[in-house]
Amino acid sequence: MYRTAHRCARTLACAACAVLAACASRLAQSAWQYDVDAGFSYDSNVNRAYAPADIRADAAFALDASAGRFYAVSGRDGLTLAGEATTEIHHRFAGLNALELAASATYRHKFGLGYAAPWIALRLAAAELQYRDDLRDGGRVEARIEMGQRFTPEFDAAVGGVLERRYARHDEPVVPGISGKVFDLRGQVLYARAGYALTDRLLVAATLAVRRGDVVASTRRDFEIFAASDAIAADPAFGGDFFAYRLRATTDAAKLSASWALDDRSSLNAVYADERTDAAGDIDYRSHSVSVLYAWRY
Amino acid sequence: MRRLLLALLFVASGVASGQTAEIAASVVDEQGRPVEDAVVVAVPSDGSVRVPAHVREAIVDQVDREFTPKVTAIVVGTPVRFPNHDNIRHQVYSFSPAKRFELPLYAGVPAEAIVFDKPGVVVLGCNIHDWMIGYIYVSESPYFAKTGKDGKALLGDLPLRAYTVRVWHPQLATGEEATRKTVDAAHAGTVPVEWTIALKREAKIRRAPAADGRGGGY
Repeated sequence: MYRTAHRCARTLACAACAVLAACASRLAQSAWQYDVDAGFSYDSNVNRAYAPADIRADAAFALDASAGRFYAVSGRDGLTLAGEATTEIHHRFAGLNALELAASATYRHKFGLGYAAPWIALRLAAAELQYRDDLRDGGRVEARIEMGQRFTPEFDAAVGGVLERRYARHDEPVVPGISGKVFDLRGQVLYARAGYALTDRLLVAATLAVRRGDVVASTRRDFEIFAASDAIAADPAFGGDFFAYRLRATTDAAKLSASWALDDRSSLNAVYADERTDAAGDIDYRSHSVSVLYAWRY
Repeated sequence: MRRLLLALLFVASGVASGQTAEIAASVVDEQGRPVEDAVVVAVPSDGSVRVPAHVREAIVDQVDREFTPKVTAIVVGTPVRFPNHDNIRHQVYSFSPAKRFELPLYAGVPAEAIVFDKPGVVVLGCNIHDWMIGYIYVSESPYFAKTGKDGKALLGDLPLRAYTVRVWHPQLATGEEATRKTVDAAHAGTVPVEWTIALKREAKIRRAPAADGRGGGY
């Protein structure tokens, strides 16, 4: 499966090169784009447990840096090819410390002229995930389609869908006959988001999302969750008596964010997210997270 | 003979300088702060506007993905060129009734200048970079000036007569006509005129990044 992830990443890279080659004459001019996000987050249920005694909260520092090349293919089309590195350092659970290297290609088309023209964007991304504990190591590919419109200079909205696939490298079953590839996951997401600039500097946004697919809950031994799982592995990130269980689930997520522009290139952001997951076998859990981030773009 | 010639020159220059006036405009907002980029236009009250037959080309540059200058004031009939000094192509357009146009995606300097042949405000945009916004104020009168950081502008070389003077700014909360003042510049010299204008929030798309994809969820 891990090879499949590499194949997908290679396919994505080839597709991007093909698009570049096809448009070579039009892409003579392009601009570099750099992004850096850094900040702290707190998650009330980082292991996605449903039994109150098993719920673990943690705080983390995250640093994300990306460099991309933007090509104006036509007056209505733009292509961005980007590479991205993200690292997360957790306060309590060092096993979750991670490094993610990703590549993405985003093609955006506007249906007309002017900021109010509706647009559609297609994004393909592939990533390599490395954790302190190797249970979560693997690859991830994602295809995203998003459509949106800016209705006024202050207000914009978009809807989108994501197909995501994560490939696990780790395969050490702890129960005979049940897969140990807990982080071999598939999911589909539908979401809608809207943003409104309250002032020149303050932008507020809300996102509602529904995700259907595999989730991983790490808890102590429990028959209920065991019966509902289709993959199980020991999860030392949370302690020797914790196991990671893969379940089919539907997650409803709501996110509110506020972004304060420091200048044209940077902002301070506060994000609150609430996720409610309804998994197979009546396994329900909830998590809240709060993040404070500095974002910079050049 | 030489003395007579000098005397005639002195008289002639005095007459020439005495035939014009100037308006020293000062524009502040409701908090008393100087308003930059306000366009002050003086129109002869007797309607004797004479647009020059030949006007100099104006330039609206694109630097760091912004229009520079942000506000340009020109007299009607002025050709404007839109050079692109960025390393990315731009597609400049306007939907404004005073001038609708579109410059297809380009780099460098477009071959043709755009002639602004109707008075009014032309709002500029770029279809690649939605946050880019610029304004061209096309004046029906050749007597206009734009305020600097100190909120001051000098309209010089005005023929001696009365003028209707008004102010425009991208964030002007009231109509331009509400700023109208009659200024008597029938005598040589400088006439100071002050405006206090109410400003509204500029209709501009925020350029600063937001942490959309961060903080969990989508």
